[in-house]
Amino acid sequence: MPSTKINDKVIRVDAVAKARGDAKYVCDLSFPEMQYAYMVRSSIPRGKILNIETPQMPKGYKFITYKDIPVGGKNELWMIAKDWRAFAEGDVRYVGETIGLVVGPDRNVLKYLKDRIKIEYEEETPAVSIDDGVNLVGGPIRDGNNITCELFCEKGKDMEEVFAEADEIFEETIETGFQEHVHLETNGVIVLFEDGKYVVYASAQCPFYIRKSVAGLINKPYDDIIVRQTTTGGAFGGKEHFPDVIAGPMLVALNVVRKPIKLIFDREEDMLYSVKRHPSKVVYKTAIKDGKILGTKGLIRYNVGAYLASSYVVLQRGVFHANGVYDFPNTYLKGEGIATNTFPSCAFRGFGAPQTLFAIETHMDHIARHLGVDPLAFKEAHLIKKGGETVTNGHIVEEVMLPEMIKVVTEASDYYRKAAEYKLGSGKGIGIAMYNHGGAFTGNGEQAIIKAHARLVKTGDNVDIQVGSTEMGQGFQTALRKIAAAVLELPMENISYDNPDTSKVVDSGPTAASRSTMIVGKLVERAALEMKERWAEGDFSTEVEYEHPDGHPWDQSTFRGDAYLGYGWGIACVEVEADKLTNEIKTVGIWSSHEIGKAIDELIVHGQINGGIMQSLGYASMEKLENRKGYFRQSSMSDYVIPTSMDFPKQEYHIQENPYEWGPFGAKGMGELVFNGASAAYVDAVERALGITVRSIPIPPEDIEEALKNVR
Amino acid sequence: MAEVKCYIPKTLEEALAIRKATGAIPLAGGTDLMVQHYEGSGLSPVFKKPIMIITNLCELKGIKKMEDGSVEIGALTVSREIAECEDVHYLVRSAASRMGAISLRNSATIGGNIGNASPKGDLPQPLILLDAEVELISLEGSRRMLLDDFIKGAKKTELREDEIISKVIIPPADFTYIFYRKIGTRRANAISKLSLSAACKVKDGKIVDFRASSGAAGPKVARGKDAERMLIGLAPEELKSRKEEFLDAWNGVISPHAMPEWRRNSTRRMLDYFIDAVASGSPEGIIE
Repeated sequence: MPSTKINDKVIRVDAVAKARGDAKYVCDLSFPEMQYAYMVRSSIPRGKILNIETPQMPKGYKFITYKDIPVGGKNELWMIAKDWRAFAEGDVRYVGETIGLVVGPDRNVLKYLKDRIKIEYEEETPAVSIDDGVNLVGGPIRDGNNITCELFCEKGKDMEEVFAEADEIFEETIETGFQEHVHLETNGVIVLFEDGKYVVYASAQCPFYIRKSVAGLINKPYDDIIVRQTTTGGAFGGKEHFPDVIAGPMLVALNVVRKPIKLIFDREEDMLYSVKRHPSKVVYKTAIKDGKILGTKGLIRYNVGAYLASSYVVLQRGVFHANGVYDFPNTYLKGEGIATNTFPSCAFRGFGAPQTLFAIETHMDHIARHLGVDPLAFKEAHLIKKGGETVTNGHIVEEVMLPEMIKVVTEASDYYRKAAEYKLGSGKGIGIAMYNHGGAFTGNGEQAIIKAHARLVKTGDNVDIQVGSTEMGQGFQTALRKIAAAVLELPMENISYDNPDTSKVVDSGPTAASRSTMIVGKLVERAALEMKERWAEGDFSTEVEYEHPDGHPWDQSTFRGDAYLGYGWGIACVEVEADKLTNEIKTVGIWSSHEIGKAIDELIVHGQINGGIMQSLGYASMEKLENRKGYFRQSSMSDYVIPTSMDFPKQEYHIQENPYEWGPFGAKGMGELVFNGASAAYVDAVERALGITVRSIPIPPEDIEEALKNVR
Repeated sequence: MAEVKCYIPKTLEEALAIRKATGAIPLAGGTDLMVQHYEGSGLSPVFKKPIMIITNLCELKGIKKMEDGSVEIGALTVSREIAECEDVHYLVRSAASRMGAISLRNSATIGGNIGNASPKGDLPQPLILLDAEVELISLEGSRRMLLDDFIKGAKKTELREDEIISKVIIPPADFTYIFYRKIGTRRANAISKLSLSAACKVKDGKIVDFRASSGAAGPKVARGKDAERMLIGLAPEELKSRKEEFLDAWNGVISPHAMPEWRRNSTRRMLDYFIDAVASGSPEGIIE
């Protein structure tokens, strides 16, 4: 068999098993004496638990609560902080908070019992929106105020001085809503004992996160806990920390029941009772002089929900991306994570960047229209370049290829002709947006927090990759095997890489932050290079640890320096036609270019671009998730709708090469980048087609009606 | 845990006997009932009454064109077949072809769509415009009534405990202009957020028939015959003078409850557009 080259077109290694239905997901697994569990959850957003009345439990059925936490264990899950309780105790802080688990052999009996557990509350007034949280509706949720996390960064002069120099000041507020991941496979976990160890099978992105999160709860050392990732049918960030919230209580139950237990979420549970993308509210106050931006002051608020989860890091990414791809001489950006009584918000493709990137792009469009200039020309005049200073006083270290990418996309889409021809409110519109995404963990996180490892094990002519990174549908098993094969000059078939088991592989860090190809791919490349040199030695293994590239200063206490090791860059152009009878928007063209260093596998990258842009367009147009009084109103895939292949046309895509020094074969991260900007391009196009101003997404036809009222 | 009693009759007669004896709920495609009574994965659905699976009753399947030009559609005929049948009126075919996803259209039946009586249901809206009737059958015999009378409101029908919907009868219709729109939550596999059918017949320079029906705009499909009559007898070029009055009247026909402005305004704009197309002497046929 010929050896695999990095530019070969290959069939995804997981494609056949998944297409044939051979792949086994967690719900397909079964173990002897297996029990089932259902979550008993809070039915109110905020209040004290006065009493829990349980029906007579038949033999073999148990109701597990915080009281069952083993001696020495603490009622906490460790994500960034340890504030998220495994079980509610004394009070509840959001609808859906875990109060207990009913466990037993028959699901019909469990459902019957679950429906008969009566919880008596003393209800309190919930804070639901960002404004509620800021205004301390119902009193502070946490100590003192509802600001769960905050940061600021500044660049250039004091903004008051800048405003004084300005010809005019343009201020506006831009908002984005909740978004649900809608991974095809819902969340699910099986727990069991194996040789005295606590074993978790989970549909998850980060098996090592689960182990870390639950160890304190069951009071066991890491070595006594094994997490095995099962084939995962989509995640998008929804399975980064959230599996901890299921696995924690399940291990407490396992400790009592001592038999394998399975818990699989139904779709409705996954919609109503799982983490979401943070809603945001961004206020920009921008100083303009001689038709250019002199500086901007931004207040960025994210709805964190009742617990911190990963929100502090999400907020940081939001702040660091809040000036988009532009170099304003002066900025002051303040971020606040606001506690509310909604389900905690957590990771979702883009991790805080899509909200501020949407806000800044839309803000730039509005300023340009206010000044009477073409938005693209206005944006081009402010583009950041290599060496340009970022909002955190760091510098862009790579060549910024956006000018070349603008050329490619405007030519493919015929942007300039259409932009001139389609008059404001004509029913036709073309929009364009630019964006970037900082690769890997923020600042020196890769070096200071994660310290990733990768290991290769050689047996004859075969090599096994042993890392904790996961395949969740994004194509990483293919990409990583391709990297190893190309370095070792072997066919991909000689490389194996299974779903990780924390007792067998080394911790390569979470599968998140667009870091897998860029960081773990590089580790595998390095381990493979070493293996290639020593190939003749027989059977052996190589293991490498992350090395931080020089010249990236970062101070995590002040948020100054290079926030990211490198960026992916993107531009998307969207053309629409508006139906003036019904406000339905038909997207007729989508063009994009993405600079991702180098595509490890063009077909996979193409799939990511297609999916990322579709998901972003859904976010902007139809994915409306409302929370009224603490309750999500949409609970199924028929009332929370995501795009189908009929909703958007075939995309034209372009991949811009710009090899990245510290990535494998020059590759950077790209899984999140492709989500970050199409939403703004869509809104730009809709605004032009209808002559409206949009300051909030999503915009289904009903909301366009409101915007039209302001025009008439 | 209550077990679900389930019958599978082999003939229509047997089904009617079971229905009379037990009040069992007829289940055909199951695309509404199984969703409404879903309890969770691995769990039995919970029904308060017995179930009678009638999917295989051949007596209630198929589409027939009658001598008088009317079309009879058996209650167990699935949406896909309706969408594909040239004998069925364009408005009904349009609605059938945009119902849910392909898999749903292969199993969802016209009887179920009517019996479910959801204001968002796809088929009742054009059927009510066409003055379609339903036939209800029981051991005592059969009766017919206008579909508009059969559906009383959201989830409420005239169906008796011992009856089964046996067929839908669409009378012949010959319109000069027709218009159909469904605005779903997205472009495919979507529930209707709003729908509208409109039709008009022009004969010897006069409007002799004018009808409209609005779906998802209230507790049931809205038809306003008083409003429709306002336009009958006019010459197309006279429509403009009565248009605003008609549109105001139609605005009164659709339910004031739970109506975001967009539904109301879109309905008005679509009817306005259709009337203008008629008034301006557009070529006969479908108004796009």
